[in-house]
Amino acid sequence: MIWIGDVLVSHGEGGVYSERMLGNARVWDPFRSKLAALYHEGTGVEITSDTRVLYLGAANGTTVSHVADYAEVVYAVEFAPRPMQDLLEVARRRKNIVPIMADATRPEQYAPLVETVDLLYQDVAQPDQAMIAIRNSAFLRPDGKMILMLKTRSVDVRKEPGVVFKETVEALVSAGFVVQESLWLLPYHQDHAAIVCTKPEV
Amino acid sequence: MRSYWFGDVEDGLCTPSGGDAHAKSDRIRLIRTSMDTFVPPDWELAVACGACRDRADYIQKLREICFAAAERDIQEQYSGKDAELLQMVRTLDEMDTVINLLTERVVEWYQIRHPTFTRKYRKTPAHILVKNIREKSRGALSFVAGEIERLSATRTELAKAVSGRANDVMPNTSALIGGLVAARLMSHAGGLSDLCRMPASAIQVLGARTALFAHLRTKSPSPKHGIIFQHRRVHNAPRECRGKVARVLAGKLAIAARIDHYRGVADPVFLESAQARIDLVGKGNDP
Repeated sequence: MIWIGDVLVSHGEGGVYSERMLGNARVWDPFRSKLAALYHEGTGVEITSDTRVLYLGAANGTTVSHVADYAEVVYAVEFAPRPMQDLLEVARRRKNIVPIMADATRPEQYAPLVETVDLLYQDVAQPDQAMIAIRNSAFLRPDGKMILMLKTRSVDVRKEPGVVFKETVEALVSAGFVVQESLWLLPYHQDHAAIVCTKPEV
Repeated sequence: MRSYWFGDVEDGLCTPSGGDAHAKSDRIRLIRTSMDTFVPPDWELAVACGACRDRADYIQKLREICFAAAERDIQEQYSGKDAELLQMVRTLDEMDTVINLLTERVVEWYQIRHPTFTRKYRKTPAHILVKNIREKSRGALSFVAGEIERLSATRTELAKAVSGRANDVMPNTSALIGGLVAARLMSHAGGLSDLCRMPASAIQVLGARTALFAHLRTKSPSPKHGIIFQHRRVHNAPRECRGKVARVLAGKLAIAARIDHYRGVADPVFLESAQARIDLVGKGNDP
């Protein structure tokens, strides 16, 4: 990851969402992007120019654009039509983004399109986030990394975020994942946690 | 056989898929992949298949197909008749907010110019007040007041259009609760298909989110009604049977929304029996 002082940046064409520029580096704001927050608060996963990424919950392509600056290719999955329109525009300008309009809970819909990836990144507002991650790990190579941005309030508003967090980690561990790092994204994002884990070698 | 975006693979033999990006994106929809035995596509296989020249070409071809598929899917999502109604009713609700805010502000402004003016003990409706302010003032204040009047006129026109469109898009729901309220319900649910998948109990409290979550979190009583309170049958009902009217009405609305979504035409038989039932409960003499 590229840091200028204590500012996380990525190199690429700017002006995607009127982000701040430092020279020709795009500032990656931890308050706007949960992935940037993870790099600020924890270790995360190093993305390099040969990393292939499957990105679930691509939304408007804000974070996706930064990931694409680092990665070789990003398969960006988004379900809702309105953010998809924005994502398509971002993808038109960044040749290493493959935009896929599909439901992350149904990986069989986009299975014919997505190759084996090195990193699975998930940021979806769905109740069963652990299950989505597990099902999509079919695209992840053995020893590949997974970053799950847990939106605890989407799982169940009535449950304590701490409980949701614990249950999700347990579900991932019992599916065979090795949890490397798990942390809350405070002070940047309320009730959001990041879980970084490794898919076991077969 | 394993099917990928670039072709079908069987026993190491690959048959590339033909046609342009649109034809290929249509083909992908028909592919049924079992995730249990899934093997992800491989770009070298696609090259061997003759579908692309190299890695860069693989990504580029795949992108073309994905763009075609996404553009087609977005178009399909928006082609539903409810998509525009959704924007119309949301615009209407936002105009109400804006008009109210501006009216409040203009009155405050007017009070500075006329220190003796007060709204206490007056029953002047807001639109008459704005008209008076426009006529009695000069310069910017009068101008802003005139703008509010024009906004209100636009709002009235828009409300008619919403109502008309709702009658067309959701005939049964509109017949039970009126086009405007029907459209608001649809807007809160996120679309007609979302509304028709909701249980009646959810429709009953649509728009009462704060009260509902306060109820779920604490011991406060559950909300009896949300948006459907706007219908005369609910707000005119005697206080003690209001909850019941809301419940019955929501039940019928849930059915109406499903007929609207899946059939799309008014069902007179259903409407008559539903109206009769709601009226009965509303009179408070339900057996």
